[in-house]
Amino acid sequence: MSFDWAAFFEYLPRLIKAAGVTLQVSLLSLGLTCLLAPLLAMGRLLGPPPLRATVQAFIEVIRGLPPLVVIAFCYFALPKIGVVLSGFWCGVLALGVVGAVYAAEIIRSAIESLGKGQLEAALALGFARWRAVLDILLPQALRRILPPLTNEFANLIKASSLLSVISVHEISQVGQSLIFETFVVIEILVQMAVLYLIIIGGVSFLSRRLEKGLAE
Amino acid sequence: MDPVFMAEVLVRLLPPLGLTILLSVTALAIATPLGLALGAWRAELPDRHPAARLIDAWVFFVRGTPILIQIFAVYFILPKLGLQPPLFVMGVGALVGNSAGYQIEIGRAAVQSVPKGQWEAALALGFDRRASLRQFILPQAARRMVGPVMNELSQLIKASSVLSVITLFELHKAAEAISSANLRFSEVIVVEGFLYFVFIFGISLIAKAVERRLSAAGGLADAGSFAR
Repeated sequence: MSFDWAAFFEYLPRLIKAAGVTLQVSLLSLGLTCLLAPLLAMGRLLGPPPLRATVQAFIEVIRGLPPLVVIAFCYFALPKIGVVLSGFWCGVLALGVVGAVYAAEIIRSAIESLGKGQLEAALALGFARWRAVLDILLPQALRRILPPLTNEFANLIKASSLLSVISVHEISQVGQSLIFETFVVIEILVQMAVLYLIIIGGVSFLSRRLEKGLAE
Repeated sequence: MDPVFMAEVLVRLLPPLGLTILLSVTALAIATPLGLALGAWRAELPDRHPAARLIDAWVFFVRGTPILIQIFAVYFILPKLGLQPPLFVMGVGALVGNSAGYQIEIGRAAVQSVPKGQWEAALALGFDRRASLRQFILPQAARRMVGPVMNELSQLIKASSVLSVITLFELHKAAEAISSANLRFSEVIVVEGFLYFVFIFGISLIAKAVERRLSAAGGLADAGSFAR
């Protein structure tokens, strides 16, 4: 088993291009996560009881499913009700929703960890409940939310590898088809692993910087 | 939605669900002692120790790459080395490598979260480091490991669905096969999702109850993450 550098450099450009798709799909689903998660968290914390129960049930159901099943659902079951998306956008939707559910739990537990006193003080000062949450609790919770949220971004990148099953041309799909095409196994596997390590390592480096910055 | 068909699918998916559970439980049974012991050991090693570097490299690789890549690595590299174990063994192997990597961190964090004063007290009482670790630190650390390790079982059940890519007929692969054979995707996915949900949600309820009883303070239990 020797390492073939010529093959390594021959296939590298195709995988780097695929890494671009991995980044794109992860960033777009992060965007969707950031849009949906606060809504879910607020719905669960502030909504009227029926809304609260619905949001909680939705969160529990998604958390109880492997991401692969959510992806398959978006790809195979949504067209049945008239929502037809390309593999790429289907991936963005599935990962964005899964990410949002976990991020909503992060937001909720951060707000709840502030303690009752904060909310009571705000209410006693005459703030409306929703203003108290948005203006008093959320800014304080933000410091506790950001570090785990960047961690969720690393998870989104890892989960984007699952989109290979709905033929999105990201790192895992391209690498897998190259392996079957060329039978060059080790070199391509190493490339895939290194590309993920660089992207995810970069994200967790930034997250540590952010955490340090917030602690000051 | 055809309830008769769905009932049929439910029955046909029960054996694959059994395989999913067998895979996850076997992997957990191997990975937990391995990972926690390595993690507790790592907590005590200096960073420059060769064993510490090896453990760190393992954790770095496992946490920095998707589980799909780790499964491919097992699936493609073992045959290159002349080994051709059955798919089940490969699947369990990939899950063990992955889960142990995460559990090393659980074990290490639990040991390091025991307050320093406990060490100092044990040493002051004349126990050597080994005895202090075994009799004072580990029992306290163990309580903090219970929640995260139970969480690990549901992570493994979710992660085992990815083994479908190496045609291991666990729950997800079986559901995929049934749905494409019958061209009825939504009904099969709903049944499949129901089975996963019941199991994973059930485990999380048990985990919460156990944790409440142990009331393991220390905040090590996290919301869990969705991707491996």
